[in-house]
Amino acid sequence: MAGILDVPKPRINCSMLSQHINRAVCFVGRVEKVHPTGKTFSVSDGEGNNATVELNEPLEEELSGIVEVIGMVSNKGAIMATTYDVLREDKGTPFDLELYNEAVKLIHDFPQHYPFEVAASG
Amino acid sequence: MWNQGGYSETVMAGGYTQSPGGFASPSLSQGGEKKGRTRASQIVPCTVSQLMSASQADEAFRVGEVEVSQVTIVGIIRSTDKSMTNIQYKVDDMTGAPMDVKQWVDTEDPSVDNTVLPPGTYVKVSGNLRSFQNHRSVVAFSVRPLEDMNEITSHMLEVVQAHMVLSKPQTTSGAGGGMTSSSIPPMSRPTMGSMGGMGGSYAGGSGMANNGLSPNQNQVLCLIRSCPEPQGISIQDLKQRLSGISLAVIKQAVEFLSNEGHIFSTIDEDHYKSTDNDD
Repeated sequence: MAGILDVPKPRINCSMLSQHINRAVCFVGRVEKVHPTGKTFSVSDGEGNNATVELNEPLEEELSGIVEVIGMVSNKGAIMATTYDVLREDKGTPFDLELYNEAVKLIHDFPQHYPFEVAASG
Repeated sequence: MWNQGGYSETVMAGGYTQSPGGFASPSLSQGGEKKGRTRASQIVPCTVSQLMSASQADEAFRVGEVEVSQVTIVGIIRSTDKSMTNIQYKVDDMTGAPMDVKQWVDTEDPSVDNTVLPPGTYVKVSGNLRSFQNHRSVVAFSVRPLEDMNEITSHMLEVVQAHMVLSKPQTTSGAGGGMTSSSIPPMSRPTMGSMGGMGGSYAGGSGMANNGLSPNQNQVLCLIRSCPEPQGISIQDLKQRLSGISLAVIKQAVEFLSNEGHIFSTIDEDHYKSTDNDD
């Protein structure tokens, strides 16, 4: 697990999955359906597209709301999750997933101002 | 200049409370210097990758063109380590390996909250970038847990906006980066003469051209220069070609250019030729 946390994990949405196959990514989305086995669930992004998340261990509790999943993108475009966090929405303001999606598109439009890599420091 | 103005307005709306003095007046934050060079008296939203890649000259760090000293980052705590005098966090914002963040603990002051935040907490860190024996870290004066996760989104947007605006004005106009200094001399644009519509975006660009003429004056001069006819181009023709500029402004430009010796009248007061023509 330490390995994937120490590399850049570009924030992406569903339309960018195919460009990140076999790479580490960070995917934020709304939990849609949890498979009965608890080992996989679907998430939707701010554009309404769905992706599949696959876990190593089955979920131990009910998962809902907005999650941030870190994992590798498989050849089939699923996210093999290493870890995930629930973005809490209990303190008042709900998370605006559509706006987050716009921000994701923006940072990919301006990689010079939001780099997902560490250049050699001078 | 308008770049700095735009930045301070937007950042005020973004709710920076740390350094109000720096944002209230752009001249303060520039330290009185005229050009776009920024002094390190502002707090700049950054990514961990930017902080790790920043170049260092003496005590000053630079992310590209932007000098950074006080920074904010938003990320999730991956690990914590508390000692008697400080708390060390590793904060991950997905742009690279988690960043070391050190927060000093004030053991004497009971009002200061020294509770260690647990891993998995999303935080906004405000502090100073430091480098010690080639190891980069942030010494934080504030590590605040996020209550509204939309701050993750707003930080992403603020990072791009701040670095875009704080970069040298000649290279980025903040409005898409399409205007560069190389596009200013009108002679180099073959389409200038035929496209009156270009006037709008051009005039909104970087202000003064290299030859000391305003964008409007440059457009008028360029059209006059490009006219091959012996009697020159008329003011009516200029008005037709420069649909974005009013007749009064065109006449003002013509008068200025004529006074400066760039153009002269030919058959009447309404026709002008450029003094730089080869023929």
